[in-house]
Amino acid sequence: MLEMKENETKWLNRILLALAGLSLLVAAWTVVNYQFRGGTDDLFLVLVCLLLALLFAISPLMYYGKNLKVEDEAEQSEELTQHERAERKESGLVWGGLLGLTGIEVFLAYIHLNPHLMIIILMLLSIMKAALIMAYFMHLKFERLSFVLTVVPTLVVLLCLFAIFFPDSSRLNKMKPPQSVEKVQPEE
Amino acid sequence: MAEVRAETLPANEWSGGTLPYRVSHRKLGMWLFIMSDSLTFGALLTAYSYARVASDIWPTPFKFSPSIIFSTVMTLVLLSSSLTMVFAVAAAKNRKKKTARKWILATMFFGTTFIVLHLMEWLHLMNDEGLYPFSLPTEWLHRWPNASPLFGAAFFGITGLHMFHVFTGVCYLGVVAARLKKFTADDVEVSGLYWHFVDLVWMFVFPLIYLMSVDFSG
Repeated sequence: MLEMKENETKWLNRILLALAGLSLLVAAWTVVNYQFRGGTDDLFLVLVCLLLALLFAISPLMYYGKNLKVEDEAEQSEELTQHERAERKESGLVWGGLLGLTGIEVFLAYIHLNPHLMIIILMLLSIMKAALIMAYFMHLKFERLSFVLTVVPTLVVLLCLFAIFFPDSSRLNKMKPPQSVEKVQPEE
Repeated sequence: MAEVRAETLPANEWSGGTLPYRVSHRKLGMWLFIMSDSLTFGALLTAYSYARVASDIWPTPFKFSPSIIFSTVMTLVLLSSSLTMVFAVAAAKNRKKKTARKWILATMFFGTTFIVLHLMEWLHLMNDEGLYPFSLPTEWLHRWPNASPLFGAAFFGITGLHMFHVFTGVCYLGVVAARLKKFTADDVEVSGLYWHFVDLVWMFVFPLIYLMSVDFSG
């Protein structure tokens, strides 16, 4: 039965690897064929393909890497107090890092950057802050990997799905009729 | 064929066993709630950004003093409350319930400070500037002609929902602190998860709402 399970895992990982390769191929095909002429639409498609490739590749990479750590619970319980102390120090450091990143954000808001560049930098910094909070304060770093890989990719994909509509916002602005046209000639 | 029990399967990351995620049902429930709630905020922030990009002119009214100073201090307060909550969870895990209660009360103090500062900021915008959820101040309309009227709704809607989350968080922590004898370390950790989530959401609200609308003349 264990052999069957092992065989099944092997095949599932092969299928996932193939899907990851397929996603990469679609991304490459989009870049070569369209060369981002479609603007944000093409960029979005490429990013989604790369994200899918990453998600598909996680499990096979881990499987073939064969460096899975098996937690030793007996060892963990002996080092509990030491672990707690280290955790407190670590939390203080993370808190300092978060304050530093907030400082950088406020500084950036005042140096007259191009709004597009600024929003990208601000969002990257915010994602870094969110990752720090989730990993250390919400203890996600210390949870089982299967739990982390259930929660995080689901959230990322669902939040990315909101972005599908987003390119329409700039298009909508460009499609507005010019202000000077006050009377529209009726069609005969 | 010999019976294979779940506990005897190889202990790698993907084998299920009796506890596939090795978390309690409370923690799993809180994480599922956090995931759904982050989609609520994600939808609101996306809608705000969409309305902003699709508008010709979006007001950028937040002067350094008081708005940016207030919101930066609010960020520091919320980050500090997360740190005290981490200490509360650690103390509860070490079975030091009295210490845990002190840290939870410190977290509640920071949370209440956040709400007070935020309400002061709201009152300043309403009374001094004249901004309301469904109308822009006339002075702003002179400064930014044809500015989108959605500014007020977006600002009060998003920050209001976040403030409501902070308020419910303070109430939640109050219940946990008051009945700490009956609660386990796991319960404290689950309440901590909710608190950190509220902090996390502010890390996106602060730059998107405040820092992208800085008034350089102030």
